Amino acid sequence: MADTEQVASAASSKDPTVGLRAVRSLRTLVERLEALQVGNAREQGWTWEQIALLLGVSRQAVHKKYASGRGPLRRRD
Amino acid sequence: MFERFTQEARQVVVQAQAEATVLRHDRIGTEHLLLGLVGQDSPTAAVLARHGLTRGTVLEAVTTLRGDLDAEALTTLGIDLDAVRERVESAFGPGALDEPPGRHGATASGRVPFNPRAKKVLELSLREALALKHRHIADGHIALGLLREGEGLAMKVLHDRGIDPAELRRDITAALDA
Repeated sequence: MADTEQVASAASSKDPTVGLRAVRSLRTLVERLEALQVGNAREQGWTWEQIALLLGVSRQAVHKKYASGRGPLRRRD
Repeated sequence: MFERFTQEARQVVVQAQAEATVLRHDRIGTEHLLLGLVGQDSPTAAVLARHGLTRGTVLEAVTTLRGDLDAEALTTLGIDLDAVRERVESAFGPGALDEPPGRHGATASGRVPFNPRAKKVLELSLREALALKHRHIADGHIALGLLREGEGLAMKVLHDRGIDPAELRRDITAALDA
């Protein structure tokens, strides 16, 4: 899977299927990491304001996304 | 029921289990059965391929529909998902990067259990065999069971690809009788 030759050819590929799939997967990865890090910060007593500042979003945005949403972060509020 | 399964049919179930494990899914669903079906070297798999259902197309559809992390796609960007996972898990524990399903993963035996719909498909495969007066349950009967059940992620994959279930049923039945 992590074959160097394959990576090289895929990276240079102009096939939208390849490129779009990669972008989508990267977004999923970012979402997972964000949820993980926000949850961790909350567990360590960080405020929504502090979290939002480092994420570069508004306090409302991060609060709306994680405080009232589904998932493991919900129980904290 | 499993004693009536042909070698291919057994292999479909085994592979469905393996696919669910590799994808870190906590239940075997219809989509894993479909992945098992397209992975065989059989007349049924050939029919599915003619309808555009190959391991590649199905796997892509499944990861997209489930919003899964697609290790292959990330590799094209030079990102090694396994390496990312390893680092994240060393800080946050096993499974930290997985989608929080709020449910249990594999059972104590390490086996991924079937979800109700996939179970139903296997039951229906027996009925399909009986209806066709076949003594054994082949992989084709599992495919017919999938179509008979009519819902679940496998059917969503078919639908999204514009596959006509009636036409597919006819082709699979014909291949079973050949």
